[in-house]
Amino acid sequence: MFKHFLSIALAGVLGLTTAVQAEELTDVNEIVKKANVASYYRGDDGRSEARMLIEDAQGRKQQRQFTILRRDHADGGDQQFLVVFSRPADVRNTVFLVEKHAQGDDDRWLYLPGLDLVKRISAGDKRTSFVGSHFFYEDVSGRNLSDDNHRLLETNAEHYVLESSAKNAASVEFSRYQVWIEKSSMLPVKIEYYNANDKLYRRVEVLATETIQGFPTVTKSKVSDLLSGASTTMEFRFIRYDLGMETAVFSERSLRNPPRQWLKRPKQ
Amino acid sequence: MLKSALINLSMNRPKTVFWGVFLLVVLAGLQIPSIKVDTDPENMLPHDNAARLFHDQVKQTFGLHDMIVLGVVNTGEQGIYNRQSLTELQTLSEAIVGMEGVISQDLMSLDRVDNISQLSSDSDGPGTIRFEWMMKQVPQDQAGIDQIRTAVERLPLLNNTLVSGDGQAAGIYIPIVKKSESYRISNLIQTEIDNLKGSSEYYISGLPVAEDTFGVEMFIQMAISAPLAGLMIFILMWFFFRSLLLISAPMIVAMGSVIITMGLLIGQGYTVHIMSSMIPIFLMPIAVVDSVHILSEFADRYRPGEDPKAALKEVLSHLFTPMLFTSVTSAVGFASLAFTPIPPVQIFGLHVAFGIMLAFLLTIVLVPAYIISLSPKRMAQLQDHNIEEDDRSRLGRLLSYTGRFSIAKAKTLLVLFVLVIVGSGYGVAQIQINDNPVRWFKSDHPLRVADRVMNHHFPGTYNAFLVLDKSGDLKTELLQSLNDRAAEQGVDLQPQLAGVSGEDFTAYSDELINLFDQLSYDDADNESLWLALLDLTEQAQSEGKYFLTPEALQYLDNLQNYLDGSEYIGKSNGLPTLLKTVYRELQGGEQEQYRLPSNATAAAQTILSFQSSHRPDDLWHMVTPDYRSTVLWLQLSSGDNQDMSQVLALVDAYVAEHPLPQDVKLNWAGLTYINVVWQDAMVNGMLKSLMGAFVMVLVMMVLLFRSVKIGLLSMLPLTVTILFIYGLIGVIGKDYDMPIAVLSALTLGLSVDFAIHFLERTRAIYRRCGDWQQTVNEVYKGPSRAISRNAVVVAIGFTPLLFAPLVPYITVGFFLATIMAVSAVVTIVLLPAVMQMISNKDALFGVKKDQLEKEKSHV
Repeated sequence: MFKHFLSIALAGVLGLTTAVQAEELTDVNEIVKKANVASYYRGDDGRSEARMLIEDAQGRKQQRQFTILRRDHADGGDQQFLVVFSRPADVRNTVFLVEKHAQGDDDRWLYLPGLDLVKRISAGDKRTSFVGSHFFYEDVSGRNLSDDNHRLLETNAEHYVLESSAKNAASVEFSRYQVWIEKSSMLPVKIEYYNANDKLYRRVEVLATETIQGFPTVTKSKVSDLLSGASTTMEFRFIRYDLGMETAVFSERSLRNPPRQWLKRPKQ
Repeated sequence: MLKSALINLSMNRPKTVFWGVFLLVVLAGLQIPSIKVDTDPENMLPHDNAARLFHDQVKQTFGLHDMIVLGVVNTGEQGIYNRQSLTELQTLSEAIVGMEGVISQDLMSLDRVDNISQLSSDSDGPGTIRFEWMMKQVPQDQAGIDQIRTAVERLPLLNNTLVSGDGQAAGIYIPIVKKSESYRISNLIQTEIDNLKGSSEYYISGLPVAEDTFGVEMFIQMAISAPLAGLMIFILMWFFFRSLLLISAPMIVAMGSVIITMGLLIGQGYTVHIMSSMIPIFLMPIAVVDSVHILSEFADRYRPGEDPKAALKEVLSHLFTPMLFTSVTSAVGFASLAFTPIPPVQIFGLHVAFGIMLAFLLTIVLVPAYIISLSPKRMAQLQDHNIEEDDRSRLGRLLSYTGRFSIAKAKTLLVLFVLVIVGSGYGVAQIQINDNPVRWFKSDHPLRVADRVMNHHFPGTYNAFLVLDKSGDLKTELLQSLNDRAAEQGVDLQPQLAGVSGEDFTAYSDELINLFDQLSYDDADNESLWLALLDLTEQAQSEGKYFLTPEALQYLDNLQNYLDGSEYIGKSNGLPTLLKTVYRELQGGEQEQYRLPSNATAAAQTILSFQSSHRPDDLWHMVTPDYRSTVLWLQLSSGDNQDMSQVLALVDAYVAEHPLPQDVKLNWAGLTYINVVWQDAMVNGMLKSLMGAFVMVLVMMVLLFRSVKIGLLSMLPLTVTILFIYGLIGVIGKDYDMPIAVLSALTLGLSVDFAIHFLERTRAIYRRCGDWQQTVNEVYKGPSRAISRNAVVVAIGFTPLLFAPLVPYITVGFFLATIMAVSAVVTIVLLPAVMQMISNKDALFGVKKDQLEKEKSHV
């Protein structure tokens, strides 16, 4: 209990000092880089259990649960992801394996235990739905920074506000998007997407953050489809960083034999 | 009492009458601008109709919307698979997505759907599956375009839906928020089409557009044909009377009745439906007839210099009862439509009935007031118009010949009529009950053309939805087993379950899972119990997903195969189609892999793979997230109710032979189905209306004539007429549709008028002279002429309908005019022949011998 309190207090002090110490950034590319690292590259590796609640326009809810394991080759560089589904029971042990490349296309594999089938998923488009939710694959693993042109719109007391548009407009469904990056944590806390008619149609927002092992970490976020009124809320729990996972954890072998050691929920 | 009060009021205080009527007209007229037109055939059913509620619920549950279907057709060598056509398609689709009222995320078009395919370059390894936009950009070269063609033809959900099998037509399926917006949106689309200058042709189709366009054209139609009907009646009366003075009064009565009735309808907040829009056209001819009677008789009786009031009083007291009865019978005919369980038809019937009674009232108060207000000079002018025609006129000679013929050949005529009735009975048995809102337009209307072209290329633009529901109380069953399991370990679950509140079973069981998951973590002492409960819940959840089980999927698949084999169903799309397609691609894409996953888990994971696409939500148009309801989308090439009924029968036959799995219910939804439902309701309702009207009119006739025999006689001509007309419809194969159905009951009320006048006069003449031959001679002079003239007025009064651009109006106009004409002829030819065969005329006409003697001595 005391320990818990201490960590919160420490985080508060740390947060304060970073806010005081941090110089105002003016280079948009640097902001984008730091935000990228803050959201996707904390620690050398990490695990978390995600619980996704998909709510359709009629208010019908479906839940999905999976564990994400991640290992970085270098901050801002290549990464490995292993996503193992646990619920609903009929998709249990379905696995996604992703080799993310900072340069070039990612490699993706899928294992379906019910069909005992391993498939590669073509690089192609990463702005497809992540297992039927309103998150895209790209929202989960991160969008390549060099795919977009970024512009710093505004710097206020709390946020850097950026506007970005795709270099290859034909490859994406948005015409532009705005990002609010929290200065203190460098986490993007809100992203709003506009379509070809310049209508706001999609919003990604952070609903809760926590500092875990010293890293400000998103613990709850939400994507809203503003056209249909549907949304997906994702909660992250049992988050741990720097577990010392080996690269073998992310091998094709793990598709059929998920690494129990890392999937097991850590004791408090 | 009432009668004399009314007559006195009108003659003594004409100004009060004028102002009163004027105020009423103004008040009613003020309501008319707030008119709301409603041509939604769904509204043919009451809002709480079970089929309609289910249809709405299905639309809601599966996120199905009314759709406009835009066709891009290119009959060139490569069909639509050329750069120009595809570019135009994409331009259109992009423009349409931005339109207000379009549900952009559900729009289906080549450039907005996904392709699932194998990556061909990848020959070894696990195989690569690819989800990508089918046509994010139109390919620069023909090779790229041909690839799209190959891809589309591989995907059963897209092939023959987004592009026709012959490759000549592509469809853009445009879901819209409100059906009533489809005319506006289709105009916007037309504007976009006009901006293109390609070689393709464009067609806008779909039931919603047809229905909404009908509303707009109906409005225009009303604005044209109601005044036209007024003009027609004016011309007709001018032809008969050649006096503005005479014509003004009936015209005022007609206008007043129409405006007040329509004002009343609109003022009450009713929408104007197809039938109600015809109210003015129905009312006008009916409204003028009575005033013509009054004016004719007044002109006959009035001598210049006399007190016009005395003459008027005499005329009115003489005419009041027959006018009242003819008005009431007509009103009853229309009011009987209230027995039909179709709200717009009920509103129509009751308002026309009101209008007829109003016209009667206005005739009784307004026409005398009008006459009284004329200056003596003008009143004298009335005299100059010889209303009665000469006996030697063509009509006069024809009628008198008819009379002689009818009596002389009475037996032959009767045999003939019996034959006609038998033939008609046969014809009636042949009647094809059928309707289709698209056919409410003439065959050269752009919508009809689009309908033909689209259904030529595609398997069908009409939709029907076959819904299968699995019932069962999963929640209670689960709670039972959870409580049992907890009780084994002496744990009371109630406190823990109190906070679980999910609405449906999926949400509820998800919450239970979260709860047990958390408890197994927090409450280490009972970990094994919580994990056991977790298992039970997960198991119940998986097993609850009924339409993922092989049993259910196989049934659906077999049903689809059966349906696809029928000529009535162009194509069926459903969850099995999607599963088989994705399964095939997961398994390498070979056609022999086009089959259902072997178990529920495999099916669930096949679906999870599909959900990694750009349009994962398309799944929920086929099945609910709890997998306990599913819908098969049937594309029909015909929107005819008859063809839809065939489809219903097909499915019934299939289900009879292959019983539905346990606790599975099958139901229908979709506009094409709804049309069948209200048609059935209408056909049955019409029979009731017809019977109701028949009985009421018969009772009134018996009361009027105080004779059962004459009462029955008076029903004879209209019975023969209606039978004949409907027999004719059956024989020539004209579909029995809404307008035709509605006609039956109301013509009954209209055509009995002829019989009333004819029998009334016949009896009066016979009672006076006591000689049948002489009676016939006299009847064929005055009364028959009056009947003929009235028949002509009413029949011709409806003819403006023939010039309508919309088919139901033409139908109504044509058949009403025919019915009027035929029933007038039947009255004049058949009634004397039948009476000729009744030997005891004295008994028939209720003549007592002494009374006759007395009357004779007076002569």
